[in-house]
This record gives sequence, structure tokens and C-alpha cells, in this order.
Amino acid sequence: MTRRRRALAALGIALLGWIIGGEWVSIHQHVPENHLIDAIGGPSFLVAGLVALDRRPRNRMGWLMIAYVAVSYLGNWGNLQVAVVPMIGTPASSWARRSLAQMVLSYPTGRLRTGFERFVIGTIYAVAISVSVVILLAFDPRADGCTRCAFEPAPFPNRHAVLTAMSAGQRAGFFVFLLLIMALWLRWRRATPAERRGLAPLWVAACIYVLVGLMGAFASPDTTGQPFAYLVWELQSVLQIGLPVVFLWGLLSTRLARSAVGDLVMELDRPLLPGELRACLARTLGDPALEVLYAREGLEGWVGADGQPGSLPETASGQRARTVTVVERASQPLAALIHDPALDQGLVRAAAAAAGMTIENERLQAEVRAQLEEVRASRQRIVEAGDAERRRVERNLHDGAQQRMATLALELAMLRDRASGDPAVAASLDRAAAELKQAIAELRELASGIHPAILTEEGLPAAVEALADRSSLPVWVRADFDARLPGPVEATAYFVVAESLANVAKYARASGARVELSRRERDAAGGGDRRRRRRSRRQPRLRAARA
Amino acid sequence: MLIVDDHPGFRAQARALLAAAGYEVAGEAADGESGVRVARDLSPDVVLLDVQLPDITGFEVVRLVAGEPDPPAIVLISSRDASDYGRRIERSGARGFIPKAELSARTLAAVLEGSGQ
Repeated sequence: MTRRRRALAALGIALLGWIIGGEWVSIHQHVPENHLIDAIGGPSFLVAGLVALDRRPRNRMGWLMIAYVAVSYLGNWGNLQVAVVPMIGTPASSWARRSLAQMVLSYPTGRLRTGFERFVIGTIYAVAISVSVVILLAFDPRADGCTRCAFEPAPFPNRHAVLTAMSAGQRAGFFVFLLLIMALWLRWRRATPAERRGLAPLWVAACIYVLVGLMGAFASPDTTGQPFAYLVWELQSVLQIGLPVVFLWGLLSTRLARSAVGDLVMELDRPLLPGELRACLARTLGDPALEVLYAREGLEGWVGADGQPGSLPETASGQRARTVTVVERASQPLAALIHDPALDQGLVRAAAAAAGMTIENERLQAEVRAQLEEVRASRQRIVEAGDAERRRVERNLHDGAQQRMATLALELAMLRDRASGDPAVAASLDRAAAELKQAIAELRELASGIHPAILTEEGLPAAVEALADRSSLPVWVRADFDARLPGPVEATAYFVVAESLANVAKYARASGARVELSRRERDAAGGGDRRRRRRSRRQPRLRAARA
Repeated sequence: MLIVDDHPGFRAQARALLAAAGYEVAGEAADGESGVRVARDLSPDVVLLDVQLPDITGFEVVRLVAGEPDPPAIVLISSRDASDYGRRIERSGARGFIPKAELSARTLAAVLEGSGQ
């Protein structure tokens, strides 16, 4: 047993003694309360608090529960007819009961997160302390008919003031409960799905407790001879036992989730489809939105199982909050699990460790896919660069050589007109003009073959129609779209149609041809899991021409 | 006549060629927007208009000038072939099209008389 556990055991024994002693005082003094419930409630908080301190040393819930036990049984000890003690013990049970609200609102970490939550809890304590101060100053039990009460009377005994303060405190409690409900609702709204799963059972119990508290606000503060007030008080006591049970259930549910890691090991003992590991981990951890990214060996950045680049999430809060757990092997990052920050880190690590070999395999597959994707992207860049270069060459031919040759043709035409009186010169100029005309035609064909201007300016359907007009065969063209497509797609489709029509004219002995251009939306990444489908882009697909 | 073309050498040759054939070249413009402006100022009978201009296309110039009251006859010219523009020439509202290398008083007259392209 570690030193820490020995200290916790000693604390537990001491507090158990504190509980038993307090209960013995209540019984011995014939205090009218349900001793069984009281005797169960304290130990249940004590056990839950000790387990919480053992399992979650940094979690404040354990200390809150321990503090609750210590303070609430101070109320029992207050029944001891010894000077001063009753004066401290009387309000103690009231303070302890208020601390339950703090536990509920700060569950599961024990820390209040927002200013509003701190305001609500502060108000609850302020009301309780105010009432306690009045009781300490004005409550005189002997004047109130207690013949066995031996402690010193209050400095300013005033039974009416005490009852008024208690009544006002309970009325104020009504509004404080409303604030508490609002704080709980806001917490629920901001919670991530995993947090909501963890908080749900506690909040069910808390809501019932709040409901009973509201009823208590209208019940008489003096339960003696008041059946309704006594019932409410008993209900509150029973529910107080339930709260630590719910908290323990939360701890045990983490253990149950860890047993799912064993199922994960069994599930991974078979070949997985790409991306299936993500689904297995998501199921095991109970986080459907979990994502897995893989590290590139020797490279910066992350990729998904499909090889597509991915990025770690930015800091966010509320329901969209995600956190990253990096899985490493030999101090090298292997994968990043992007998950709900409310998930138990130990559970995430356990699942990652169980899936270690599969993660390694999937990382290697993702690496290969990423390399293939890079090759594909590189090929696409080459195609796009080639297309851009063809456009540039065509444009340069048009703006340069073709313009100069056209100007030269006009010059020759003018010279020809002036040389009409000299047949030899005129004939020579006619030959030059004919040669130039042939050169211009060839250059135009060359430019058009490199990249037709109509394709650049008008798009695929118009360019194919122009092809049809130039064809030696009757060609019917039908296109079901007018929109422009990416340049390389248009160029590829155009040259496919041009080559097809040329082949039809040469070899098919056909009396005509028909070209149909249609555009289909398709999933660029193909089938696969949901994440891949979500990531894939909707790309236009051109149905090749039929000739 | 107004000549709209962004190549000064071609404009000069075309002006000389057509002037020699008896056409009065009243003005020149080097881009589409100035072509539209000069066409409005000079109200020419004929506009010889390059399809490829540095700012807007010749087709756009045709649309703008043809919208004016009593518009001129517009003849498109280009160093490219008519087939490079598909049916856009027909739809543009221009009187016709002449490849630049084939520009002459005869081809221009044929287009203006409606027997050309």
C-alpha cells in the first residue's frame, strides 16, 4: 500500500469515527430524524470521496465530498449538550446541504467554470451564512422549550427573529434554486456530447433534488408536527444518498468503458478496410465524431486514412471542442486521435495502445495513399501547366507571327496593285502572296491544334460545334450543359472529340456522326467510409464523346 | 470608315490599302472602349473591327455600337479563321467577317454588299 493510500485509509477511519460518533450523539439525544438514512448517507459520501481521491487525485470532487461529510456530521455533533458546540453545529448541516449544489454544478471536475456558476454558488452560501448568523445571535433553545438544552443562550435571544430568518432563507432559496437550474441548463448547452453522457445521470438526480428543494422552500422550516415538511426533509436525505452513488457510477462507467478496450482488441483481430479503424475506435470510446490522422514519416503534417492531407483542430469551446491525443511509438508520432475533450485520457490511451499495431499498419497504408495522391496531384499540375503553356503559345502566335504575316499580306496586296503594269513583277508578287497565304493557313492550323481559341473563349460545347462545322462529315452535336469546366478537362475532352471525328472521317466510312456532351457529378474519392465521402470533392465528369 | 485594331502596323497598312481603294478612313482606335467612343463621335458608315482587343472583345464592341441610333456597318477582322469563333460571329450582329490576311477593297465590298461572309 502506498503512502497516499495509507493516508486516505487513515482519513477514512477518522471520518468514519466522526460519522458514528455524530450519529451516536443524535440517537443518544433522541433527535427526531431517520437515523438509518443518516447513517447510510454519510458513509456513502465518504466512500465515494475516498475512491475519487484515490482514482482522481487532481479532481476536487473527492475533497468536496469529504468536506461535506465532515461539515454535515458537525450538525449531529451539535446535538451534544456541551457549551459552544451546538452553536457551531446548528448551522453546519445547512451549510453542508448547500455544498451539494456546488458538487452538482462542478461535477465531474469539482471546479466551477464560469462567472455565473461562481455567482450562483456564492449566492447560495451567502444566504445560508446570513441565516446562520441570525441563528447564532438569536436562537435560545431553552426559551424555545428545550429543558435538556445545556448550552449558553444566544446574546440576543429572539425566537421571532430566528423563525423569520429561517423562513426568509427558505424563500430566498426558491430564487437561488431557479438560478441553479439556469446554471445547470447553461452547462448542459455548452457540454460536448461525451460530457453530456457523463453528466446525464447526475443531472437527473440533481434535478430531482432541486425539485425537492423547491418544495422545501414552501414547507415549514420546523419539521416537528409538520408531515409535509418532514416528508420533504426525508426525501432530501434519500436523494443525498443517491448523489454519491451516481458519482461512483460515473467512475465505474469509465471502468466499464475500459472493458470495451478488450472488445476492441478482439475486433481488430481481422483485416480492416481503409478507415475502419476510426469507426472501431469511435465505437469503443463512444465518440462518433472521433477522427484519426496519421503522421508522415520524415515529413511535417498529417494525413487521413485515405491519404488526403488533414490538419489538427483549432482551439474551440462548447459542443465543438475537440482535443488531440498523439499516439507515439519510440518517441515518434504515429497518429493523432481527435476526440471529445471530455473523454477519459486514460481510456483514450488504453484504446490507442490496444490498437497500436493496427494504427501502425493503417499509417503505412495512409502513407502509400498520400504518396499516390501526391503523384496524382503532380500529374494534374503537369497537365495544367501543359494546358496553360499551350494557351500561351497559341496566344503568342496570334499576337506575334500571325499579325505580322497578316500585315505583310496587306503590304503584298498593295504592291501587287501598284505592279499591275509589270506582268513579271505582278506574277512574282502573286506567287509570294499565295505562299504567304498558305503559310498563314498552316500557322493558323498549327495554332488551332496547339489550343483552339474558341475553346479558351467559348468553352467546350461551342468548340465542339466549331469542330463539327469543319468536319468533312455531317456531325450532330448535343450538349446538356453550358457551364465552363476546368481548362485541362475542356482541353482533354476537346482533343478526344477532335481525334474521334478525324478517325471517323478516315476509317469509319460513316455517313455522319453524333457527339453528345454530358456532365455527371461523381464522388472523386469513390466509395468508402463516411469521412472519406465527406472529404471528397464533387467534381465534374465529362462523358467522352461518341462518334 | 473607322479602323479598330491594337496593332499599329496593321492599322497603317489597312488605312493605306483602303484609302488607295477610295475609302475615307476617318479615324482609328487601339482598343475596344476608345473604339466605341470614336464610333459615337465620328458616326462612321463602316467600322473595321478586330475581334481580339486588349480590353474588351470585338463582339462586345459590336453589341455596344449596334445599340446606338443609326449604327454603322461593322465588319469583324481577325488573324484567326472564322471557324475559330464558331457561331459567335453570326450571333454578334456584325455585317460579316474577313480574315486579316484576306482584307482588300474587294473582300470588304463583298461583305458590305452582303455577298461575303
